Amino acid sequence: MTYRDDIRFILNGREVSARDVGASRTLLDFLRLERRLTGTKEGCAEGDCGACTVLVGRLTEAGLIYAPVNACIRFLASVDGCHVVTVEHVSGPEGALHPVQQAMIDFHGSQCGFCTPGFVMSLYALWMQTPEPTEAQVETALQGNLCRCTGYAPIIRAAVAVSRYGTPAADHLTAEREAMTARLRALRDGRRVVTGPDDNLAILPADVDDLAQCLVETPGATIVAGATDVGLWVTKFLRPIGPAIFTGHLEALKTVAREADHLLIGAGASYTDCQSLLSQHLPHLAPYWDRIAGWQVRNMGTVGGNIANGSPIGDTPPVLIALGAEITLRHGSERRTLPLERFFLDYGKQDRAAGEFVESIRIPLPGASDRNAAYKISKRRDEDISTVAAGLSVTVERGRITRARLAFGGMAATPKRAAQAEAALIGQPWAHATFEAAAEALAEDFSPLSDWRGSAGYRMLSAQNLLRRFFLEQDADTTAPAQLATA
Amino acid sequence: MTKTFRMDEAQPRLLDETGQGIVGAPLDRPEGPKKVSGRAAYAADGLPENAAHGVLVRATIAQGRVTKIDESSVSDVSGLLGVFHGPKMTRNPAQGMAGEAPVQPGDEVHYHGQPIALVVAESFEAARDAAQRLAVSYDADTDVITDPSRSETHEQDDPETAGDFEAAFAASEVTLDRTYTTPPHAAAAMEPHAAVAEWEGDAVTLRGALQMLRFNKKELADSLGIDPDKVRILSPYIGGGFGSKLGIGPEAVAAALAARELGRPVRVVMTRQTVFDSVLRRTETSQRLRLGADKDGTLRALSHDDRVSNIRDEGFAEPVSQASQFLYGAEGLSFTQTLARICRTPAGSVRAPGEAVGMLALEQAMDELAEELGMCPVELRLKNLPDKNPMTDQPFSATRLADCLREGAEQFGWGERKPMGERREGDWYVGMGMASAARSNMLIKSAARVRLTGDGAVVETDMTDIGTGSYAILGQITAEMLGLPIAQVEVRLGDTSFPGASGSGGSFGASSAGSATFLAAKAIRETLAERMGCSLSELTLQNGIARGGNREVPLSQLVDGELVEEASVESGSTADSHFSAGFGAHFAEVAVHAYTGEVRVRRMLGVMAMGRILNEKTARSQALGGMIWGIGSALTEKLTHDPRTGHLATRDLANYHVPAHADVPGDLKVVFLEERDDMANPIQTKGIGELGISGAGAAILNAVRNACGARVYDMPATPDRVITAMDAAGF
Repeated sequence: MTYRDDIRFILNGREVSARDVGASRTLLDFLRLERRLTGTKEGCAEGDCGACTVLVGRLTEAGLIYAPVNACIRFLASVDGCHVVTVEHVSGPEGALHPVQQAMIDFHGSQCGFCTPGFVMSLYALWMQTPEPTEAQVETALQGNLCRCTGYAPIIRAAVAVSRYGTPAADHLTAEREAMTARLRALRDGRRVVTGPDDNLAILPADVDDLAQCLVETPGATIVAGATDVGLWVTKFLRPIGPAIFTGHLEALKTVAREADHLLIGAGASYTDCQSLLSQHLPHLAPYWDRIAGWQVRNMGTVGGNIANGSPIGDTPPVLIALGAEITLRHGSERRTLPLERFFLDYGKQDRAAGEFVESIRIPLPGASDRNAAYKISKRRDEDISTVAAGLSVTVERGRITRARLAFGGMAATPKRAAQAEAALIGQPWAHATFEAAAEALAEDFSPLSDWRGSAGYRMLSAQNLLRRFFLEQDADTTAPAQLATA
Repeated sequence: MTKTFRMDEAQPRLLDETGQGIVGAPLDRPEGPKKVSGRAAYAADGLPENAAHGVLVRATIAQGRVTKIDESSVSDVSGLLGVFHGPKMTRNPAQGMAGEAPVQPGDEVHYHGQPIALVVAESFEAARDAAQRLAVSYDADTDVITDPSRSETHEQDDPETAGDFEAAFAASEVTLDRTYTTPPHAAAAMEPHAAVAEWEGDAVTLRGALQMLRFNKKELADSLGIDPDKVRILSPYIGGGFGSKLGIGPEAVAAALAARELGRPVRVVMTRQTVFDSVLRRTETSQRLRLGADKDGTLRALSHDDRVSNIRDEGFAEPVSQASQFLYGAEGLSFTQTLARICRTPAGSVRAPGEAVGMLALEQAMDELAEELGMCPVELRLKNLPDKNPMTDQPFSATRLADCLREGAEQFGWGERKPMGERREGDWYVGMGMASAARSNMLIKSAARVRLTGDGAVVETDMTDIGTGSYAILGQITAEMLGLPIAQVEVRLGDTSFPGASGSGGSFGASSAGSATFLAAKAIRETLAERMGCSLSELTLQNGIARGGNREVPLSQLVDGELVEEASVESGSTADSHFSAGFGAHFAEVAVHAYTGEVRVRRMLGVMAMGRILNEKTARSQALGGMIWGIGSALTEKLTHDPRTGHLATRDLANYHVPAHADVPGDLKVVFLEERDDMANPIQTKGIGELGISGAGAAILNAVRNACGARVYDMPATPDRVITAMDAAGF
C-alpha cells in the first residue's frame, strides 16, 4: 500500500495540496506566513483569546459541519480533507460586508480591531447554527473570544441583531454546501498519509485499525487528537512532537451512542460531539459542559484526549469517574478495559503502554435511585482551568446511602476518588449530618497544593462545601438554593 | 508655516456654532469595514519580500551578567542568519514620552525575561528553534530581591502636604486607618508587540505596534545611534495599547539592528509570554489610607501613602495618590510615596496610571468611612467636594461631579440599597456599591495638517488610533469645521512623515490631536472667509457650500487646487490658572455566592462628565471598556511572580484573567452629562479613555461589602479571599 505524502484540503474557495507538512506546523502559521492570509490574528498561540478563529468544515455522518476552531493550536496536518474558511472568505463578492460584519460595525463591536476577525468567525458559525440566538447562547458561543477594548456588551448586541441583516439561507457557504460536500468527498482516498521531515513526521492513519497498526509500528509517537493540549507543547513549550499520529480525522473514533444501559463515547469525539447525548441522558452535565474552555476548544478537544493526557485538573475525569466510567485501551487488535480511576497512576503517569491508545469510554447510565452532580470552581467563570472540579454520585435506597462515588480534580496529583468521604456516606442515612461527616472526612483524603489558582485551604474548603451543596441541592425537604440565572 | 497656538485663555465654542452637525454624532468608525473583514494591516501582518524572522532570546536569571552567548550551539540550525546582541540591545520598552533610548544594559541582566539577544533565520520556525536552543552562560547574582516588601533600596519622596494632616487627624471625631494592596497588572492588549524593520541606505522604516510615534521616532534613533530624520515609523493600526505600546520596545530596536546588519528586512513578533515578561507592567502597590472626619461627615484629614516598585534606572513611579490629591477637600492632606527597587519586569504606565489602583483604595476607604459614620456613601462624597484643587488652590476648569453622583444615584435606584447582608436571593447575597470617578486631564503638544480640495478634505498627523476612535473624531472635527459630509474627509494617521502629534496615551490624544486638527481647519476657514470677502464670523460652511457676505459659493468653486494648513497646539497659562480633570460616578450591583465566595457583577452604571463629546459612539465604547477594566482589577486580574526567581508564573491569557464575556453584566450602562471645558483646550474636550476604569473597581468591591460583609484588603477579590472575609465578617 502506498502512502499519500501531501495534505489536501480546501482553503476558502481553492484546493490546496501541501507537501512536507511537519507535525508541529500550525494552521495559523501556514495561513499567515505562507498564504499571507493575515486577517486571522495570533493573540496568544494557545487557544485562549480566539483572535485566530477560523471555521473548519468536515464531512460527518450528518453531512458537512462547520465549526469554529483555534488556528493557532490546530495543526495543519489535521485539516486534511476539510474546508478551512478564513475571515477573508466571509465578505461577499466585491467586498460586500456579511451580515455579521455589518452588525459588528453598526453596534460598534470593534475598537482596536485585533480580536475582531476572530469574533466575526465565531459569530458567523453561531449565526449559521442559530440565526436568532439568545444572549446566553451568544455568551456561550463567545466564551473563547477575549476582547480588551469594548467591554463585550456592544459585541453581544451585534450578535443578537445579526439576523436582521440577513439569513443563513442566503449565505454563500449554504449555497455551496452540496458542491463543497462533493469536493471534500473527492479528496478522500482512504490512504494513510505520511508527510514531513523525518524528525517531525506527521502520520494520518487510514482508519482506526490502521491507527492501531501505526502505533504498533511507531509506539513512541505522539498521539494528536484535538491538539488543544499538544498544540501548547509546540507553541508554548517549544517541544518537538514528531513523529505524531493524528486521529482527529477518524470518524469511527467519534462514535457517540447509547447502548442498552450505558453511553459509549469514542475517544475521538469532541466535547461538542458528545454534548447533546450527554445532556439528554446525564442532564447534570449540561451546565458543566459549557464551562469547559471556550467553544473553539470544545470543537477540537476530545474527551479521550482529556483522559489520556492525565492532567490532575482535566475537567472530565472527575465527573466520569463518579459515574463509574470505564475506558477501553487498544494495542494492535488487543483490547483491555479498566475503570477510569485506575488509569491514573501518578502525576503525569498513566496506565498506557507504548503503542496503546484509548479507544472508547463507557459511561453506565444512572439508576433511578442515583443522585449526580458535577461542579467546577474556577477563578474566572468562563474559559478557565479548574481550581477544584468534582463529580459526585450516590445511590440512595430507602433513605440510606448504599453507594457513593466522589471524585475530585485539582485536589491531588491525579483525578482521585475520596475514599474516606465515601466511607463516611455509605450505609448512613441521607441527612445533613451525614454530609457534614463526609466533609470532615474529606480532609483525610486530600492534601491539596497551594498555587495561584487557590490556596490549599481554599481548595479543601471549597471541596467540602461542594459536598454540603450537593446535599442541599438534592434534598427533597430543603428548598433548593436558587441559582443565579446561568442560561 | 506651522502656526503654534498656546492655550492661554478660553476660546470661543466654535464647534457649537458651525452647524454641520457631525461633531458629537454617534458615527461609525470609518475603518470598521476593514477591521471586520481582516483587511486592516497590523504590524505583524507585514512580511516584505525577502524578510527574515527574528525571535527574542530572554534571560533566565533575575540578576547578574551574561558571560557567554555560544553561537556555535545553534550553528546546525538550517536557515540561521545570525545571533544579535551587544551594547545597543534595549532592556525594556521606553517609558511614555521618553523621547530617548531605553536602558541599554550591555551584558547585564536586571530581570528574569529580559531580552538579551535576537536570533534571526530564514523561517520563523527555525528562528524559534534556535532561540530556544541557544546556549547562554550567566554569572548569576545571589540574594536577588524580587519582592518589594523585602527591598532594601527604597526611595522615598518628602510628603506632599496641605495644612497639618497629623493635627487634623488627631482632632477628628471619627478616624479610619486601613492598608490595601493591589497586585501587578498587565495591559494585555490583544495584539502582541511586533516590528518589521527595513533599511534603505542609512534610513530605516519600521512598521510597529506603537502609540506615540513622535516620541518613538526619537527613541528608536537614539537606540540605534542615528539621526531621527533617518527614521520613519508606520503604525496605521494598533491592536490595543493601554500603555503597553507607549515607548519603543526591544522588538523594534532588535529588528532594526538585525535588519541593518543583514541588509534585508527583519520581522520580530513577540509571543504572548514575551509580552507578559518583557513589556512594562503596572506595579503592585501597598496603600495606607488615613481618613479623619467629624460626625456630620465633614472630612478633616486625608492621607494616602503608597509603596510602589520598579527596576533600577527606571524613572517611572505609579502616581498612586494622584486623584486623592484633588478629589476631596480636607484641612489636613498628606501624601507620601515610596519606591522599592526590585528585580522584576519593569513597571510603567498601564491604563490610568495612578487612578486605576489609587482609587481602588481611596474609594473603598471612603465607603468604610461612610459605614463608620452611618452615612450614605453618596452623601459623604457630596458633602466633601471642593470647589478648587485642595493641594494647589487652582479652581477646577469644569466639574459636574455632584451632578454625576446625584444623577447616578437616581438612575441606578440607589434608594433601593439595603443594609449590609440583608438582601439574599437563594444562595446569593446581593448588594450595591458606588464610587466617584476622577482622572486628571492634559493637553500635549500636537500638530496636524488639513488639506482641502474641491472634492473634500484630508487630515494628516502621526497621531495613532489604538482602537480609541482617532480616525473617526479627527474626520468629524474636520468635516464640522469645513462644512463637509463625513464621507468627504479622509484621515491619515500613524506615519511619522506627517506632522507630529501627542500620540495615544494619558487620555490626551483626542483633545490634543483634535485641537491641532481643529486649528488647521480653522486656518482654512480664515482663508475661505477672505476669498468670500466676508469676516470670519459671517462665514458659514455647510454641506460643501460657503455662505457669507450675501454670497453662496460651492467649495469646489472657492478652492482652486488645494488649500493646505498645518497647525500646532500646546498648553499655556490655563494649565496653571485652572485644574482640569474628568469626573464621574460609578454604581454597581453584585451577587456573592454564600458558599463559594464567587462574585458576579449584575449591573453597572457610569455617569460621567468629560467635556465635549466628539463622537458619542466611540466615547461610550471607551467608557464601557474602562468599566470592564474595573471588573478585572477588582475581581480577576493579578500577575503572580515566583518569589524565588522573580519570574512571572501567570504569563499567558489562560492564567492572567482579563474579564471574559460571562464576567460582564448585560446591564452595563454609561450616561454622559453635557459639559464644556473652556480652559482645557480650544475644543472644550477632556480625556475619556481612562475615566471609565478610575473608581469602577471600588464600586464593585463596595457592593461586595454591602452584599455579604466581605471587605477584601488584598486585591483582587477572588473567591478564596471573599469567602475568608465573609467568614471574618460573620457571614
